[in-house]
Amino acid sequence: MNDGLYLASRRRRLAATAVDAICVPTLTLLLVLMTGILEDAQDYVSNLWMVQLLGLAIASYLLLNGYGLWHRGQTLGKRAFGIAIVSQSTNVAGQGPAPFWKLVCVRALFFPLMFTLVVPTILILPLLDLVLIFFPARRCLHDFVAGTRVVRR
Amino acid sequence: MVRVFILVLSLCVAEVQANCDDVSSTPNFNRSYSEGWGITLSNTRYQSSSVLQAENVNRLKLKWAYGLHNTTPRAYPLVTGDTIFIGDSGLGVVALARDTGCQRWLYAHEGYIASALLHARVGARDLLIFNDRIAGVYALDASNGTLVWHTHLDDEPLPWYSGTPLIHGARLYVPIASQEVGLALNPFYGCCTTSGGMAALDLATGAKIWYRPTIEAPAQQTGDHWFFVQKYGPSGAPVWGAPSFDVTRNVLYYGTGQNYSHPTTDTSDALFAVHADSGEIIWQRQFTADDAYTAACNLMALNHPNCPKPTGPDVDFGAPTMLATTPSGRQLLIAGQKSAEVHALDPLNGELVWSRRIGRGGIIGGVHWGLAANEAQGLVFAPISDKSVLDFPSPGKASPGLYALDMESGEVRWHFTRDPRCAEVACEYGLSAAPLATNDIVITGSMDGYLEIYRASDGKRLWSFDAWRKFESINDQPAQGGAFDAHGPMVADDLLLVSSGYGYVGEQRQGNAFLVFEMAAEDE
Repeated sequence: MNDGLYLASRRRRLAATAVDAICVPTLTLLLVLMTGILEDAQDYVSNLWMVQLLGLAIASYLLLNGYGLWHRGQTLGKRAFGIAIVSQSTNVAGQGPAPFWKLVCVRALFFPLMFTLVVPTILILPLLDLVLIFFPARRCLHDFVAGTRVVRR
Repeated sequence: MVRVFILVLSLCVAEVQANCDDVSSTPNFNRSYSEGWGITLSNTRYQSSSVLQAENVNRLKLKWAYGLHNTTPRAYPLVTGDTIFIGDSGLGVVALARDTGCQRWLYAHEGYIASALLHARVGARDLLIFNDRIAGVYALDASNGTLVWHTHLDDEPLPWYSGTPLIHGARLYVPIASQEVGLALNPFYGCCTTSGGMAALDLATGAKIWYRPTIEAPAQQTGDHWFFVQKYGPSGAPVWGAPSFDVTRNVLYYGTGQNYSHPTTDTSDALFAVHADSGEIIWQRQFTADDAYTAACNLMALNHPNCPKPTGPDVDFGAPTMLATTPSGRQLLIAGQKSAEVHALDPLNGELVWSRRIGRGGIIGGVHWGLAANEAQGLVFAPISDKSVLDFPSPGKASPGLYALDMESGEVRWHFTRDPRCAEVACEYGLSAAPLATNDIVITGSMDGYLEIYRASDGKRLWSFDAWRKFESINDQPAQGGAFDAHGPMVADDLLLVSSGYGYVGEQRQGNAFLVFEMAAEDE
């Protein structure tokens, strides 16, 4: 698209994703350690610990990325590698970030999918999401669903 | 031509359906071939109702195979005059016609059925009792497979219902282990606070009558790791196996496993005798002190924080105890330990009569799932696994096989040393499953997939069946054989029944075949 914005390279996107994939779980585990939600036998009597763990994972994602997504359309990894998420319709004249709610409530839902790459039985789900990056538009399924693209900043 | 083919096909289908349509949905309980996991309440695993013997075992032929819905079959069947009840984890409890394998009824159940199936008569009703390993104890109406009661004990937060309960009178005695041994793999888990124990339930309702933990003192904080995760102890000493029962003295006997954390207790790797009425301890005797271990210790290279240090050898009494009477008339309490030792005690006071080490031992045995005995011949049959698991140290030379011990003295009368069938590292060839004795033979299943019959008097191998293959099944589930493990074989009249494919521990070959063999006629 010749609108003055340059699509982020696949390598930068991969590197940025790798940073996020390390930082978010690391913070989650730190919060698990501090809150002790997996520490007592009683915690495992019901499945409440799964809900709590999910809550901490979401909190970690927002703590690390919330501000950057809101103001710049950037997660920690994307900021480190100089790329940002914009709306598909954004042009050079108004290149603000994509709407925050779309980034968090739609696009970010695909983030945990990446961690299922190691589960052979559901490998198809993350692959479906990621394989579209190899088309000329360089947009993953989560970009299409959220109406976004990733550009160089 | 096509019409003829369709006609023949229709007739075949009609024939099959007619066979199963003819099966009554109601089982007959005029006869039952086991009182519990150990065939008798004393756990001798000697089947007196069998025609299998040394001179005719060569006529055993596969009668039918049933495809189970899981690859870790851990339920032990119950056989009656006309029905075989099996636990098919992933499907439920199934009542199959003994002759044809046709289904009489199904109790759909999602959990892991992990015990022998037991029959009890309560009033006018026949009950079928089984354990779900996580969810608790279930009682079904055996005539139609409907649920009568379900009990989950809350004395410990994370009980594991691994051992088969024992029925006597109006009570059900339930061994309790603890899930913490596995939860300790989670490094964020504060290991450990629970213990094992024995519970008595009302057979009619499932209501708890008493619970006797193996560790009475509550766990206290003993330290922490990673600044935040608190460690606790004492813990562990689970009861993994079915108790044995002395009817005349009204006493239960059972063994315990190792501690999960420090400080250790004198109740781990121990044998207990308790009053069946109250759960009051009559005596207890420890065989291995300071044995603290969790599954986290299998990851030795990681220096896992939930592996207690110093680390014990993990030599539980996983196998149920056995009450046996020697040819001279002396009653002994006999127990096999994962250390590959077999001990005989005076059941009155726990005094040691003899002890014999017959293998290297290790975390999967030594003696793992159980012993069998032929009291008339004065023999105890001890299967030795001596399996190595992951990188947990197993010092010494492995000597897997079947050992026949003199019941009076513990001397080894004979042993059969098994040979590996393949060069694969994971090709374990020892005996982990509990054996079964009947008449003049003893039956074992090996971890490398051989079902074998030995002559009890001298250990000569008389019959062998290789189950590492596919089987044509009588149900819609393809059947694949694999490792023999866990509860081992069952015998009733001219039938030999066994599950094949237990892949729960280590790299054993998984499978899902429930096999029923039958003695063929002499002229076949």
